[in-house]
Amino acid sequence: MNSKLSTRDFSMLISLLIIWIIFAILSPTFVSARNLSILMIEFSIIAVLALGMLLIILPGHIDLSVGSGVGLFGGIASVLVFQYDWNATLAMCCSSILAVIVWWLMGTLVVKQKIPAFIITLGGLLIFKGCFWLVIQNSTIPVVKGGNTNLYSLLTTYYLPATAGYILCFIIVACVTYRKIINRRNRRAYGFEVESREISFMKVFVTAQGALLFVLISNQYKGIPLSVVILGMLALFVHILTEHTRFGRYLYAIGSNEKAAFISGIPVERLVIMSFAIMGGIVALTGFLQTAYAGASTTTIGNLMELDAIAACVIGGTSLKGGRGNVMGVLFGSLIMVSLLNGMTLLAISPEIKFITRGTVLTLAVWMDIRLSNK
Amino acid sequence: METLNFTAKNIVKKFPGVIALGGVNFELRAGEIHSICGENGAGKSTLIKVLSGIHAHGSYEGNLYLGDKPLILSSLKDAEQAGITVIYQELALIEDMTVAENIFLGREPTHNGIIDWHRIYNEAQQLLNQFHIDIDPTTRLGDLGVGQQQLVEIVKALGKKSRILILDEPTSALTEKEVEVLLSIVKNLRTQGISCVYISHKLEEVFDISDRITIIRDGQSITTLEAKKTNRDEVIHYMVGREIKDLFPRKKTSPGETLLKVSDLCVHDEEDKAALHDISLEVKAGEVLGIGGLMGSGRSELLLHIFGAWGKRRSGTVEIHGEPLQNHTPTQSIQKGLVMVSEDRKMYGLILEKDIGFNLSLSSLNSFSNMFLIDSAREFVANDKYFKSLRVKAPNLESIVENLSGGNQQKVVIGKALMTDPKIVFLDEPTRGIDVGAKLEVYELMNQLTEKGYAIIMISSELPELLGMSDRIMMLCEGRVGGTFVNENINQQQLMAAAMEAK
Repeated sequence: MNSKLSTRDFSMLISLLIIWIIFAILSPTFVSARNLSILMIEFSIIAVLALGMLLIILPGHIDLSVGSGVGLFGGIASVLVFQYDWNATLAMCCSSILAVIVWWLMGTLVVKQKIPAFIITLGGLLIFKGCFWLVIQNSTIPVVKGGNTNLYSLLTTYYLPATAGYILCFIIVACVTYRKIINRRNRRAYGFEVESREISFMKVFVTAQGALLFVLISNQYKGIPLSVVILGMLALFVHILTEHTRFGRYLYAIGSNEKAAFISGIPVERLVIMSFAIMGGIVALTGFLQTAYAGASTTTIGNLMELDAIAACVIGGTSLKGGRGNVMGVLFGSLIMVSLLNGMTLLAISPEIKFITRGTVLTLAVWMDIRLSNK
Repeated sequence: METLNFTAKNIVKKFPGVIALGGVNFELRAGEIHSICGENGAGKSTLIKVLSGIHAHGSYEGNLYLGDKPLILSSLKDAEQAGITVIYQELALIEDMTVAENIFLGREPTHNGIIDWHRIYNEAQQLLNQFHIDIDPTTRLGDLGVGQQQLVEIVKALGKKSRILILDEPTSALTEKEVEVLLSIVKNLRTQGISCVYISHKLEEVFDISDRITIIRDGQSITTLEAKKTNRDEVIHYMVGREIKDLFPRKKTSPGETLLKVSDLCVHDEEDKAALHDISLEVKAGEVLGIGGLMGSGRSELLLHIFGAWGKRRSGTVEIHGEPLQNHTPTQSIQKGLVMVSEDRKMYGLILEKDIGFNLSLSSLNSFSNMFLIDSAREFVANDKYFKSLRVKAPNLESIVENLSGGNQQKVVIGKALMTDPKIVFLDEPTRGIDVGAKLEVYELMNQLTEKGYAIIMISSELPELLGMSDRIMMLCEGRVGGTFVNENINQQQLMAAAMEAK
């Protein structure tokens, strides 16, 4: 891992701040505790999907079908719960398993039949959209029956109690500090460059401040949203997966130079199929979050989410050619993307302009990616 | 257009953590062929990038002059406009176009906006005639051999009125015959007033064509010699800063048990055409089997197939330790103790944008992993061991592989292979494009490995290398065995004959 802050990380942070400041000036409600809480839930939904997308882009593939998949698998769970009276947990489990199988099949087609992922998932986009509308019969299917709650509906409506928030914050800061100390000790032992003690301290300090601020603001409203905790766990999982396991190393190697990876004895095909299968699970999870957030499954759920997820990855420094990208970047990219969407909604900007802005941001991000990777 | 002297004065180029050039002076006189010699990592590639504008003016210290005027190059295009063109090892041509189309690529003559094909073919023919190159301009480029493609590339540059050519290892992929043709054409350019910078590891070629030779060592220009007034030993002496007595230090060991046995192998390629016919070989512990043959003889394909990375087997067997291997992948081969160092390290060997540590441990992460996680401490210890024992020249394990010189990159690829703890090692052209000093290190490493009981199969296009380092030699010709020799009292002519004609 590189210890230096690159220009890119820095420019991400700056642009995020600029976006926030502009929206806060134009519409002070943007920084209200309530809106920030909403923003965090929307952020966690997009970021979960973008983390899955990272695992697809790292080995040099792409997935355009996830938006439709989000609608479909959220819809399947809703139908099972609302129309067939299934237990919410069981419904979500079944829907997830189905999603994993479908994505595993798509991955298999990509690597075994050598059909570009772009085409397979473009087909998937249309097929899943059709299946989705069939499943919900073009109607609105709530995630829970009349006014009750279940695990499905709680995904985006449950908040951690205030004390739990503080405890969580403390644990995270303790872990980050511990990791930093261990990391510094190891790097010094290995004879690698170690950043100055002050920089390390500042990084931990800023992280701690940020975490505390986040908890304070959340607690001013209802507490930390459950979806943020889910995102946190997934982000930790994907971080460990990409940085500290063979699987992750291999994904980077495949994305950078697939032939060399193959000759080096990496089971390229199996790994790509596996990352697609993981994506399937993540698509289903995003489907539940997004559907729960809307309260019901309707035909528009998941629309264009694939593009938001790809944009979040690219803004966060993931190379579309594969081989470069990390969890922190993707989280930042998602936050930028969501802040834009949320802020524009608050300002009641018309859908036309929203589309144009989303498209412009995506294009700019890819352009920047190409500029930076040529350097 | 008149050719001017091209001079570089006191060039200093720094990369993060490395000084690539520490004050290089170089003068190319009008109409001379001037070779640059130096070990890998001496700074030749960096110097070329400075001379050709890839490293833009301002990213280095020092100045370039064309004639008496300072020359400011900010890109390859600037250099081309100044009449300076680099011919790279990797060809920048389009296989599916004809020779003439390639020559005029990007500057097609038009008539009212419509391409004037007549002129393209006529002028291409004239250019080819002018330089005495016997190629039909209507041939599809992909149907030519690499050597002829290289000539087309040169003609393309000359067609753009280039007066200064920089040839970077132009012969590394050519057969001897093709090299001869290329060299005679380069010599001919001199009579037409064109200057050439010639970079090659092959000293015979350098002496054959150069007027002067500049030697670079550790980023500094050591000296410039008149080719007629110096000799091979003196050049090597300046290049390495020490004398190399014995180029091939092979130490024989008594062979042990048979580790790899291949019988009657027939393999078809991806398009299902027969590629390898009835090949049998075996290699014992402590033994080096050399495989030679011309381009297209199927040398690399044979090893790639045994390794599980190429072709479909129609008949025959491959056995490691008596255990048959069929429909296997490189992953399985590595588990069985067979590992391969490919010929093209950038394409098949390295993850260029990652660091040395990432590359070294890539094939052996299994042995540093617990159930799920990589044990970074154990990984570091292993990486560090190979980093030091192979003497990779770089600040530390976190240096990006792309910034290393060819020889050091090769060490990383070999280190990655050895870390898998193999019994059988395939080395495909292990010393291609690396200098005398690094070659010697590779040879010494091969000795150490055979002493420890490894079996090695080495592919080489250089007959002296085959004769110098192998215990036995097999020559391939058009996918068949041309002859197998025990390396005693045989000479280059016998090997060449076997490579030309299969039994």
